[in-house]
Amino acid sequence: MKLRPAEIKAFERMRPGVITIQGFLGNDIRPPEEIIAEDEAEFARLGLDFETIASGLEKLRAAGERGLGEPISLGKFLVQTGDARGMLPCPYNDGLYHKNAVSVRAADQPFESCVEGEDMLVFSDLSIHLLRVHHFCQGRGSPFRLEPELLKKMAVSE
Amino acid sequence: MSPILVGPLTVAGISTFLALVIAILDKFLNNYGQLKISINGGKKELTVKGGSALLGTLGAEGIFVPSACGGRGSCGACKCKVITDVGPHLPTEMPYMSPRDIEDNIRLACQIKVRKDLAIELPEELFSIKKFQTRVESIKDLTYDIKEILLSIDGQTIEFQAGQYVQLVVPPYGEMPESVQRAYSMSSRPGDAKHVELLIRLVPGGIATTWVHKFLKEGDTVEVVGPFGEFRIHDTPASMICVAGGSGMAPFKSMLNHMHETGAFPEKEIWYFFGARTTKDMFYLDEMAALSASWPRFHFVPALSEPKPEENWKGEVGLITDVLDRYLQGNVDRAKGLEGYLCGSPGMINACINVMKRNGLTEDKIYFDKFA
Amino acid sequence: MNAPNVGILPLFLASILTSNILLANFLGTCSFISISKDFKSSMGLGIAVTMVIGLCSAICWAVLYFVIKPLGIEYLSFIIFIIVIAGVVQMLEMIIDRFSPSLYMALGIFLPLITVNCAVLGVILFMQIRNYNFVQAVVFGFGSGAGWWLSIMLLASIRTKLDKNNAIPAGLKGTGITLITIGFMAMAFIGFSGMIAVQ
Repeated sequence: MKLRPAEIKAFERMRPGVITIQGFLGNDIRPPEEIIAEDEAEFARLGLDFETIASGLEKLRAAGERGLGEPISLGKFLVQTGDARGMLPCPYNDGLYHKNAVSVRAADQPFESCVEGEDMLVFSDLSIHLLRVHHFCQGRGSPFRLEPELLKKMAVSE
Repeated sequence: MSPILVGPLTVAGISTFLALVIAILDKFLNNYGQLKISINGGKKELTVKGGSALLGTLGAEGIFVPSACGGRGSCGACKCKVITDVGPHLPTEMPYMSPRDIEDNIRLACQIKVRKDLAIELPEELFSIKKFQTRVESIKDLTYDIKEILLSIDGQTIEFQAGQYVQLVVPPYGEMPESVQRAYSMSSRPGDAKHVELLIRLVPGGIATTWVHKFLKEGDTVEVVGPFGEFRIHDTPASMICVAGGSGMAPFKSMLNHMHETGAFPEKEIWYFFGARTTKDMFYLDEMAALSASWPRFHFVPALSEPKPEENWKGEVGLITDVLDRYLQGNVDRAKGLEGYLCGSPGMINACINVMKRNGLTEDKIYFDKFA
Repeated sequence: MNAPNVGILPLFLASILTSNILLANFLGTCSFISISKDFKSSMGLGIAVTMVIGLCSAICWAVLYFVIKPLGIEYLSFIIFIIVIAGVVQMLEMIIDRFSPSLYMALGIFLPLITVNCAVLGVILFMQIRNYNFVQAVVFGFGSGAGWWLSIMLLASIRTKLDKNNAIPAGLKGTGITLITIGFMAMAFIGFSGMIAVQ
């Protein structure tokens, strides 16, 4: 698949140690362009729209902020909005985003058994931007992976 | 000589010769010799070997400039003022520089290479910072996501004020290729110079907290650097209004135990507001209750935001900011003045500052630990 | 085989103008296009390339006539030239890093890429094919480098005006219009061809 130079640069910056130590690709063996293509197909199959989901995530983040750093109930879910010092640049070089981590899990599932990216949604301001503008949900195995099935469960009804 | 050997041997010979010349040139070019670094107008002078980054060079001399990323240029924590002209700001420094920083010659210590004598300025407190080799003495689960880590220090003692923090050095582990440093407040008493105790809460996706919760074991060796921070008890008679939840309790545990043990700051009354969601998120309830029962100037106010009926919670209910508001209007004695002490996420700190200001505290008397 | 009967000055002028390694022979274009965006870096890179081509030409001439030909290993001449070029570029990179860190940062990846800049190997091979003697090789080397340097300075100057021009269609902005401009420059330099002929 032919890639534009801007994309090649962006994908290089997704690797571990460039912007974040873990990188954005988890332990996924697929190249980023394949991850994006497959997730776009999955979104279409589930009837989801990237802009709507991004807005949904923003609503979750705002709801979590009321908990002041502690988890807070939102329907069947627990949302916890945490903050960290610093900014993260987008790999596509189109913005700087505040470092934070919002986690969303089912209220009846104990925290110890939750796996990030699989049954607990973890995202930051940068994740929302990557999803909305670049349709990038991160590689499997990354704790910040936005699994489309999970997004449908958690980011839609709110 | 066999014609087949002549070719390869010549190529090898030329390559070796060139490599030798390059190696000699490297020795010569990268040997900047002994250089002088003058800190804070000559207060401290170092003689160092040039060629490496300022951060590492200072570190080798026992001066630890804070760094969360270990010198890779991705955290901006190692800012310092470089008075000597070392050229224009590098592209790698620019993302962390405000226009004011550029005017004031603030540079990132991890990006500046020491190639000539330098005059720099560092905050005074950096000089008392040391690196400690410690051993994990115990790991206790306080809640499902908070652990109490007790570290015993080998060979040295630590001197710090209650409320300060250390940088925990997280080595490469699992799939993390590099070491990082993260800041945690000390919950141990300053009087215990051989230990450092930390309260660490698991952050989803967090590199350091995942290491502590899933990989660290009793008996492991851990490096910490410190002490850092300006969060401490202020020597005034004013009453302390402290608010923290979760691992934010750490600096307050240190402060409370210090004051109780040594009788320091005898005029101050202390109110501690501890917010959580359910009883499963609470910890040290018994210890705090015992302390407030035996120590008249200490008042402990735990509050749950979503207690379940079966928990039979008898304490305050609601968001900690609402409980704080109520108490500031009602129960707290203002005769000696009020000071606010906050530790938590920026969202929580901002919300509490608003409540405190609404209730008559002035912003210059509200202190908070900024790094959460 | 004898050295051609070409004077030093005509050879120097020819290597800059009529046989410009970049505009007449179209060698060495990749960093030419990328770095000409910025005038100061172009100046720096131009000097670096001139040094590399000049030095390599001299060193490779010596290696050619004192090592390769006597040992009869002409079939290995390409690989030996490339090793020498790589070594010289490595040394130049270290020197630039030491004495001008900001130039080192500005050139970035393009400094080590001089190694695979075909202008360098091209000049050396021309020197070999045309049987230049040592003085001619050195003059030709530094001359070709100077020609490359002149070309990139000209292009950088043109681009400072061009890149501000909004009348250029979006599809041609940047590399597109640059390639067209290089074509025009090449055609203009053909105007010099009556002066001296060395190839």
